[in-house]
Amino acid sequence: MIIDLLGYGAFFMSTALIFALITLGLNLQWGLTGLFNVGVAGFVAIGAYASAILTTPDTVDRIGGFGWPIALGWIGAALIAAAAAAFTGYATLRLKADYLAITTFGVAVVVQLVALNAQGLTGGPFGVAFIPRPFAGVQDQPVLFNFANLAVVAGVTLAVYLALERLSRSPWGRVLRALREDERAAIALGKSAQSYRIQAFAVGGGVMGLAGAVQAHFIGFIAPDNYLPTLTFQVWAMLMVGGSGSNRGAVLGAIVVWAIWVGSGTLTAAVVPGDFQARAASLQIVAIGVMLCLILLWRPQGFFGPRRKSS
Amino acid sequence: MSVLQVNTLVAGYEPGLPIVKGASIYADEGEIVVILGPNGAGKSSLIKAIAGLVPISSGQVLLDGRDITAVPAHLKIRQGLAFVPQTENIFPLMTVAENLAVSGGVLPRAEVAGRMDEMFAMFPDLARQRSLTAGSLSGGQRQMLAVARALLVRPRVLMLDEPSAGLSPKLVAQVFAGLAEIRAQGMTIVLVEQNARAALALGDRAYVLVEGREAHEGPAKTLWDNPLIAELYLGHRKEAS
Amino acid sequence: MSLQFLLDGLIAGSMIGLGAIGVTLTYSILRFSNFAHGDFMAWGAYAALAVVGVLGGSAPMKPLSFGWPLLVAMIVAMGLTALLALALDWALFARLRARGQSIIVVMASFGASMALRSLLEFMFTSRPTYFSRAIQMATPVGLGIKITADQVALLVVTLALVTGMHLMMSCSQRGREMRAYAQNPALAQVVGIDVAKVVRATWVIGAALACASGVMVGVLVQIRPLMGLSLLLPIFAAAILGGIGSVPGAVLGGLIIGLSEAAAVQFVGAEWRSAVAFVILMGVLLVRPMGLFGVAER
Repeated sequence: MIIDLLGYGAFFMSTALIFALITLGLNLQWGLTGLFNVGVAGFVAIGAYASAILTTPDTVDRIGGFGWPIALGWIGAALIAAAAAAFTGYATLRLKADYLAITTFGVAVVVQLVALNAQGLTGGPFGVAFIPRPFAGVQDQPVLFNFANLAVVAGVTLAVYLALERLSRSPWGRVLRALREDERAAIALGKSAQSYRIQAFAVGGGVMGLAGAVQAHFIGFIAPDNYLPTLTFQVWAMLMVGGSGSNRGAVLGAIVVWAIWVGSGTLTAAVVPGDFQARAASLQIVAIGVMLCLILLWRPQGFFGPRRKSS
Repeated sequence: MSVLQVNTLVAGYEPGLPIVKGASIYADEGEIVVILGPNGAGKSSLIKAIAGLVPISSGQVLLDGRDITAVPAHLKIRQGLAFVPQTENIFPLMTVAENLAVSGGVLPRAEVAGRMDEMFAMFPDLARQRSLTAGSLSGGQRQMLAVARALLVRPRVLMLDEPSAGLSPKLVAQVFAGLAEIRAQGMTIVLVEQNARAALALGDRAYVLVEGREAHEGPAKTLWDNPLIAELYLGHRKEAS
Repeated sequence: MSLQFLLDGLIAGSMIGLGAIGVTLTYSILRFSNFAHGDFMAWGAYAALAVVGVLGGSAPMKPLSFGWPLLVAMIVAMGLTALLALALDWALFARLRARGQSIIVVMASFGASMALRSLLEFMFTSRPTYFSRAIQMATPVGLGIKITADQVALLVVTLALVTGMHLMMSCSQRGREMRAYAQNPALAQVVGIDVAKVVRATWVIGAALACASGVMVGVLVQIRPLMGLSLLLPIFAAAILGGIGSVPGAVLGGLIIGLSEAAAVQFVGAEWRSAVAFVILMGVLLVRPMGLFGVAER
């Protein structure tokens, strides 16, 4: 019984840490560089599908069979997502901030559309299955399997966290922070300001793609429905709760908000009668939406960031 | 009682960093008061603070004895205080007629058309251009439009921030002649200017603002003749006149 | 080849254009992109549905599928949606606007949109619903095009609304004030324009038009909580294509996108419809970001 609980705990943490990874990517884009990405789900999806396509075997009506090893699939996913982010940034960053928001929203819509309709590429509404899992050998021992996966996810998240912390403290990171806080610095840097922002946006997008790939291989199959606006929304709530601008805040915020999400979901499933379940799920989202707005109003610096005055 | 009375005004964009540091000025009915001073002295900020565009920390602004210090910017004109900013003082995408009409919102609706006709009579050039987009007007014509727009609502005091900026000497003379004409009809005018010579020739009284406070005050004519002032604050050695 | 897609495009374009007017006004006057605008459409449609329910059924005015209750309901719903927008502004947007960073307001609109949408799902479930189940007869009008009475009526309503908007913006004092404030907020205050009234007018107009658009979609297609979200990208694209701040631009942009989408459905495939708006948006941003009638950025 305890073992099962621990197994579930490992599963919970793995999912939470994948969210943490996405939130870290978002923190680089928003917290450090001040760019508003409304299409997070799209970049996660790009990474997930890229890795899936690169590593899954051939099927009758979908491309595949490249037979890449998992690790390379993940790297490929990160690079492809980063490229998509770079293009998006290039198209919009010389314009007002709102245009980036609208365009990323569009990216998520189109990615969803392609995932749903380009059957030859993405498997359509049925998605991609049989994605190779890192510890496939122990699949039949759930607790061990969950812990093994947790180890991998935690390792990747830790590695990315350390890398991002390094980047954030580097001269590159300092330039980004200056660009975010002082418009005059941006004007002084001129054209290269855009270049810095595109780089930051691309790296953040790459991290999101990596997270999507990790999750795809963790679960074993993906479908377009995994990448809805709700996902973008959850990640934003996580970053705002945690404290935008802080990598530690991003990770802690992700764990806390995921816990709240799962907890409230379990509560409603237990308490609410069957035919009202779907409605109760909607209420969950309303609550998170209201929470996000309240945080913006009353505690924009979040709860888990380092103690500093809100920017 | 002065029409406009400003007492020890402290104002600035940041609460702890005032640009206007306790300035006091006044303008009597029918006067043209000129405010001069070196760059950064706070002349523009003073006049903007009076107009309600720069936050006031302390001090008073009185119009005909009424305290209008805390009145929000868009209501200052209803109190009788009209302001012509230095740059961006017209709406470039609207026609000349629309520029005047949009300022007429503070008047009773029945009066607007009549007042617009009066402005067109006073500024015949504008009448000819009434359907042109304001952005296509030349610098001098824009200035005229901005002044007409301010006069439309029959203000008690007309304040202008460097009306001669960017204009050729001939146009400056035209604009200032126009201001003299308006004063002749009884208007009280407060003028911030960089072009000291022309401004002092036009004005009745003048202040020299230094570091956010008035440092000298006197009749315009004598201020021009004061060599010390000329050298220190007007930035040139005054030639023997 | 049937030219039916031209009519379909015109109808879709009307619905998009009405929504785009609100977005373009909100952006040019309040300086932020309102991600909750699509949800004003959905709330408007549901509000009209509720009012129709209260007014009770009545025989439709042949050959339309709806009777006078729907028209009354639409007007009442426009008022209710305007109240929703004003309440949202008071509670959330105005306070964040006062702090300065406009992208935070966009973020809040994103959060508010999620909450509004899910609240509708909570109240009405995500099942589609309809004003009327009556099947409409489509009359051929030549060139292979067929039109229903509802479509004619709603095109007339759109024309009336757009014309009214244009007259209001060009000739009324409030419209002039709105245009002036969009061009230069500081100068607008100096000339005596009451900013609070301009802001209120912006929300009321935007929300009312969004509601009208939502009711149209409800009459011609269906009502569901996600109806606003699926129109949000075309609406933004239309506003940007037309040139932010331009009401005629928003309408024209809407028509262009509507027609392009309908053409795509006809010639490429219905499943790719939503990609059209994105392609047009990217094209505009890469080639001519200020759009057709756009004014240079301040």
